[in-house]
Amino acid sequence: MSFDPEIVVLYCQHCVAPDANVTVASQQMRGLAVRPTMMPCSSKVEVPHLLRILEQGADGVELVACPEAKCRFLVGSLKAEQRIKRARGLLEEIRMGGQRLGLSRKEKLSAEALLDLAEARAGAVQPLGPNPMKKGEPA
Amino acid sequence: MIVAEWKPVNELAAAVGSHGKILLVGCATCVAECAAGGEREVETLAPLLRMALQVEGHPVEIRAKTLERQCEWEFLEELDEIIPEVDAVLSLACGIGVQAVAERFPAVPVYPGVNTTALAIREAPGLWTARCAACGDCVLGETFGLCPVARCAKSLMNGPCGGTRKDGKCEVDENTDCVWNLIVQRARARGSLDSLAQVRGPKDWSNSRHGGPKRMLREDLRE
Repeated sequence: MSFDPEIVVLYCQHCVAPDANVTVASQQMRGLAVRPTMMPCSSKVEVPHLLRILEQGADGVELVACPEAKCRFLVGSLKAEQRIKRARGLLEEIRMGGQRLGLSRKEKLSAEALLDLAEARAGAVQPLGPNPMKKGEPA
Repeated sequence: MIVAEWKPVNELAAAVGSHGKILLVGCATCVAECAAGGEREVETLAPLLRMALQVEGHPVEIRAKTLERQCEWEFLEELDEIIPEVDAVLSLACGIGVQAVAERFPAVPVYPGVNTTALAIREAPGLWTARCAACGDCVLGETFGLCPVARCAKSLMNGPCGGTRKDGKCEVDENTDCVWNLIVQRARARGSLDSLAQVRGPKDWSNSRHGGPKRMLREDLRE
């Protein structure tokens, strides 16, 4: 069953180019709802945050972190990676699909390149179908 | 600290899935320190359980609350007004906390969310290892501060056994130090190796679980 996934993109402020207008670009997307949110560091995202986003109906979450060697907080992006791994394991355990969460390591992204990552996550989510939590409908 | 670990989420979902309103209660003391039942774990498990039960077609309402301690009656008072509004309680406390909640609120079913596993120390971030077995007859003074009851797979009082690996690890688990090897090393460093030649007699287990449920009484503290 094909559907238009809703993807939340949480990105470290240092991953995008200074002139990238992510909000405007995300509003121009077709066939995909992208909700971009800038973070001070990818390590600010914790497992409960990821689960709450899915609980509220998003079909997938893409966390965009800096390359490991470029992290301003040294271990920030590493923490983010560990948390994504943990949350994916929990989602697999409850048969929600770990592929609903993903992590990319990038830098100096344009708005379009950031949205390409959302599109890739949407592609990974498609086989899983819509989030069963959407509008409170049972799977 | 008392350490515990989550039961499988699907097992928890199966246990509480027949109830409509569930109270998920964390404990901010030991199980918070071992990342099994503190506020963060409550905030993780609540959405996870809601999703797990939604996937199963049994949506539930889950309220979340974390007490400072579940093993003290005074702290349980915070639940007095919430309990009448829920059908069941899922406690992330150790077995003591779960029983305290069940004792104070006998009308409501209380389910354990964790398996309590040991008295342990946080050896490194993300790693907890057993240090005490609450055996009721402490021998740490004779074993250079290293517990052979909790840390030897065979709880030997006179070790090491013949199974110590060449790298000093236990034959039962390659990631666990042979505690008797550590005891010998520490005794040697203190120049007290001779003290280990003295054979320790059979241990008195009567003050441990083997003597029946423990009951400790201090008359001077009674009201």
